[in-house]
Amino acid sequence: MTAVVAAIGHSGARRLSVLGGLARFALGTFRAASRLTRAGRWVTLRVLVNQVRFTALQAIGLVTFLAAILSFLVISQAMRTLASVGSTDYIGTVVVVAIVRELGPLLTALIVVSRSGTAIAAEMATNRVMGEVTALEAMGIDPYIYLVLPRMLGAIISVGALMILFDGVALTSGYFAAALNGMHFSRYLDIVLATLSAKDVWLTLGKGLVFGSAVALFPSYHGLAVKAGPTEIPQAVTRGVVATIVAVFVSSAFFVVVASG
Amino acid sequence: MSGRPSQEVRASWLRSALTWGRPDAAPLVYTALDLRDRPDNPDHRFDLTVEAGTAVVAIGDEDSGVSDLGGYALGLKRPIAGKVEVFGAPVGAMPHYDLLLFRRRIGYHPVGDGLLQNLSLRDNVALPLRFASDHRLAEVDDRVAALVEDFRLRAVATHRPAAANEEDRRRAAIARALALDPDLVVLEAPFDGLTGRAAQDLLDKVRRRDDGSRRAVFVTAQDLVPSVRRMMDRVIKVVDGAAVEENP
Repeated sequence: MTAVVAAIGHSGARRLSVLGGLARFALGTFRAASRLTRAGRWVTLRVLVNQVRFTALQAIGLVTFLAAILSFLVISQAMRTLASVGSTDYIGTVVVVAIVRELGPLLTALIVVSRSGTAIAAEMATNRVMGEVTALEAMGIDPYIYLVLPRMLGAIISVGALMILFDGVALTSGYFAAALNGMHFSRYLDIVLATLSAKDVWLTLGKGLVFGSAVALFPSYHGLAVKAGPTEIPQAVTRGVVATIVAVFVSSAFFVVVASG
Repeated sequence: MSGRPSQEVRASWLRSALTWGRPDAAPLVYTALDLRDRPDNPDHRFDLTVEAGTAVVAIGDEDSGVSDLGGYALGLKRPIAGKVEVFGAPVGAMPHYDLLLFRRRIGYHPVGDGLLQNLSLRDNVALPLRFASDHRLAEVDDRVAALVEDFRLRAVATHRPAAANEEDRRRAAIARALALDPDLVVLEAPFDGLTGRAAQDLLDKVRRRDDGSRRAVFVTAQDLVPSVRRMMDRVIKVVDGAAVEENP
């Protein structure tokens, strides 16, 4: 019995310690922004633009494709079900609540985690193993400034932009699905616009900020925590990606609570 | 060398780090250091002072602890016993961020070269100027161009480290260590794999400051070719964890 309690306590303490480490890591990254040098700002901007190119621009095709397919499938099924009970007007609620508010941000974050979260974790872990992080510290360069800050800002911008793209494509694709089931464009537009509210805009922006931060912070944290050597890199990537996915789902639930409050 | 960095320190956070240390203190002092992870003989402690403007080399076998001396000087490692002072500041006792800023006064070449693999040699040289100084981009570019020229890196400046040969990588790494024209340079095994002539050329550049004066240089190595050894002011052999003076 004591052993069980000790094991639970040990596991809990370890998780709390990771959470504390993450909080310090996030704080360090935000503080780093105020310490950027003049020339460093320009270089960080260049790295940030590169990060947006890799994270957002190169993911446009995938996000567009998945948003179109998902929305078409959901709206097609929903239209048939709602038509059978004579409630096709509720299609606006399905589009806005299920796709724009919940699935869109979640799927966008998952796409970015699978593409860029893995890359960030692997890059950070390699930097650590190759001694490059130590070299930066030896030069008096804060690794938060050089490695983490531009990636985090890039991920926030990218996730936010991709969410808006996802919603736009999903609404368009939803129209085609609704039209195939006999709904006119103006009717579809009226229903969707009537259901959309300012809250959806704030929720999308909020989720872009939180999910984008998570996509960069968790992989960076686990990547830079590597100590043993190259064999630890795949483990760090796995830890970083799993932690990000959990964080995205938990914060998504938190947004539901806040939005309904 | 042209493109010399301005001595003006504009940012307040950088000024705060310069409050550590004393202007009259020796650049580097090791006191009663235990180098062997075996505190069995208190008489065998490492003591060494690197005076301003001198070049000192510490030579020792791989298990002598000599390879840790650079890390101790930068505060990257902590000795199990003893004290390290840089410009009179106890590096082991400094808060993390102050220490980070304080290291900008020290040029450092780690074992290997410590170059960032995803940057070109030119960008590696520019790194401390961009992120550890408050110079304008134009000032940084001038300084980097001067260093690239001085270290004969122009032909390979756009190459990444993996595409450059060992000597060019070493030149770039040492140019990077000198980018901020530091008062003290710490070099770990900087001449391994280089010809005597290349090593002499590099040591000569390391010793000269931008204003023509001599800077303090501390080298750690397992061995040194005689021609380079003769350029040193002091040669220290680490024997049983203690410093033994030898003829240059």
